[in-house]
Amino acid sequence: MFTHSIRRRLVIGSAALTAAALALGGCGRSNDTKESGSQATTTVSQGPATGNLTVWAMGTEGENLPKLMEQFKQANPGVNVTVTPIPWDAAHNKFTTAITANTLPDAAMVGTTWMGEFADLGALDPTPQGFDNSGFYPGALDTTKVGGTQYGVPWYVETRLVFYRKDLAAKAGFSTPPTDWDGLKAMAKAMKDKAGAKYGINLQPGGDGSWQTVMPFAWSAGANITDDSQKQFTFDTPEMQEGLKYYQSFFTEKLAGTDLPPNQTEAQFVNGQVPMFISGPWMAGSVAKVGGDAIKPNIGVFQIPKNKTSTSFVGGSDFVVFKASKNKDSAWKLVKWLSDPKTQAAWFKLSSDLPAVKSAWQDPSIASDPLLPVFGKQLEDAKAPPAIVNWEQVAKAFDTEVEKMAKSGQSPADTAKAIQTKASQIGTGGS
Amino acid sequence: MTVVTESETRAVRRSAPPGRPRRKVSREAVAAWTLALPFVVLFLAFTAGPVLGSLGMSFTDIKQRDLRTPFSVNGVGFGNYVKALGDETFRKAAFNTAYFVVIGVPLTLVVALAAAVLLDRGVKRFQALFKVGYYLPVVTSIVAIAVIWRFVLSPDNGLLNTVLGWVGIDGPNWLASKTWAMPSLIAMAVWRNFGSAMIIFLAGLQGIPDSVEEAGQIDGAGSWQRFRYLILPLLRPTVLFTSVTTGIGYLQFFEEPFVMTQGGPLDSTISVSMATYDQFGFGNYGLATSMAYILFVVIAVITFIQFRLLREK
Repeated sequence: MFTHSIRRRLVIGSAALTAAALALGGCGRSNDTKESGSQATTTVSQGPATGNLTVWAMGTEGENLPKLMEQFKQANPGVNVTVTPIPWDAAHNKFTTAITANTLPDAAMVGTTWMGEFADLGALDPTPQGFDNSGFYPGALDTTKVGGTQYGVPWYVETRLVFYRKDLAAKAGFSTPPTDWDGLKAMAKAMKDKAGAKYGINLQPGGDGSWQTVMPFAWSAGANITDDSQKQFTFDTPEMQEGLKYYQSFFTEKLAGTDLPPNQTEAQFVNGQVPMFISGPWMAGSVAKVGGDAIKPNIGVFQIPKNKTSTSFVGGSDFVVFKASKNKDSAWKLVKWLSDPKTQAAWFKLSSDLPAVKSAWQDPSIASDPLLPVFGKQLEDAKAPPAIVNWEQVAKAFDTEVEKMAKSGQSPADTAKAIQTKASQIGTGGS
Repeated sequence: MTVVTESETRAVRRSAPPGRPRRKVSREAVAAWTLALPFVVLFLAFTAGPVLGSLGMSFTDIKQRDLRTPFSVNGVGFGNYVKALGDETFRKAAFNTAYFVVIGVPLTLVVALAAAVLLDRGVKRFQALFKVGYYLPVVTSIVAIAVIWRFVLSPDNGLLNTVLGWVGIDGPNWLASKTWAMPSLIAMAVWRNFGSAMIIFLAGLQGIPDSVEEAGQIDGAGSWQRFRYLILPLLRPTVLFTSVTTGIGYLQFFEEPFVMTQGGPLDSTISVSMATYDQFGFGNYGLATSMAYILFVVIAVITFIQFRLLREK
């Protein structure tokens, strides 16, 4: 799955074409000062927010956030919020430059994969007490934790499901979607044999960002990227090999193609050439754009099939307050307000970003949607990569090895070993 | 007593044999330096300084996070250079870049020279039109070129494979094939760049007087002989210039793979510049600058060799 959708960038914090430009960097020195370990004990004061606040946000969020801020101003008449929209492909640089030069805003939206780096640079303020952390999806909450300390809160989320053509599935003899690995394989086969598809499912044959499609299978088989301390990589395990083996089998059995032109996922889904793929909520809209109203009733989604578990990838963005802020108390009040279920539902209506707060999903605008509740269910079991400084670099090595596995038949065992070797050389980074 | 006018002394002084340079700074020199000062200051601050700074960086383990405290980094000697040269991806990138240069530079020069000779000798009527046409890709945005070439190279309904289909050849998936991705990019680069070398060749050809050709004709030399033994040797300085500039440009191969293949499939089109760019992106400034300097040294050596080979005898 290789999509140029803007929404995908929101997730991985890098456009497919400029992945390297945004890639994370930085590595720690042990003598560097850094907040460590313990949770902050500060609390946010009572009463409304006051004074001036500057906020950075990327992409469409940056465009839509000022509308939401007007509601915040109504509740807090004494506050003045300035939102600076930042294009995604310049964002990472702008942040790291601002951290170096000490010209940060008070609060900002931060892509989940950047949290480890920014925390390691000592830029983020630990989350004060008084936030209802149990209200967030657990996978999303994990993205805010770096080395045992929580920074900011999850703001919006996305997760991956299997998209399929309902009409072609019926033709292939599947009235209900499969729930386990064998079922998914059988369905891909039937799509090819009985429903006239060229390939049963569109899986990315390695390359930029493919880890987001591979890791759900590996996680579902019980694999982990690092151990609990987030210091040692654990790529070379039987569980990881099992996930890789399953992924590779789609290519060796010709159920997925290594030769599909990029960025044609939607078109091939609509014309029935490749009637399944794995991606996030934005793809429903992208497919409808290509296929028009006719395709809409035929778009179905189901959860990542089960092996040991049925675990998907969770992405999105967090909202943080910077340590250098002169108006921290009010900045945290803003973040608190943003993670209120009512605000989260209002934000969904403005932006279509899925709420990170579970109770916001009861809002009729989400609950009555034909597809969204399935994403909500999947979010109960979804993981993010560990918040380590060098994640992007490790991910690139992972993507390269998966490409070798998919395209030139490198064995899953060798692939797992190679990823482990490269990842260990790169290290987790940080101090 | 003769009265010597100022102009006379000046004339005398000018015609005097050059002795030791006068130690007194002339007013012209002061004026010249004053006028050059803004440039010199900017050059030192924004070119020479960073160049030396990055050379220093390449011998340290500096990472992005250390930019706040650049003097607290550790020196690692040639560690980054050793690491770069031992790195699997960098080696692949070096091989790919060499492949691209060895095939791409001669091909570009041959196409450019052929086009220049045709324009100089054959096409008199629409010469300006052809010149513009051949030069257009040079000034076109790489993004627009990428869109066009993606269409040309598209596996199913692309222009190239459609044409091949007419003569019964089942064309490959050019950009997704390990074998064909690099040749595709070479073709694209040649098409994109030959125009600038062609313009220079054309200027060189037009600088050769017609009498040379006429003399050859009278001596009974055929058109190929005249080209090979008269025109080409006279074009030597032009060939030197174009081969050096094209070589330097091609060693910095970056844009084509960056927009067309992102270095794939299986790293078969990743270039040294791209590998360097990636390391900058990861914040490994020490390693990235060492890669940049490896490339710099290679370019310097190759340029030196070109000068030695093509120098006026």
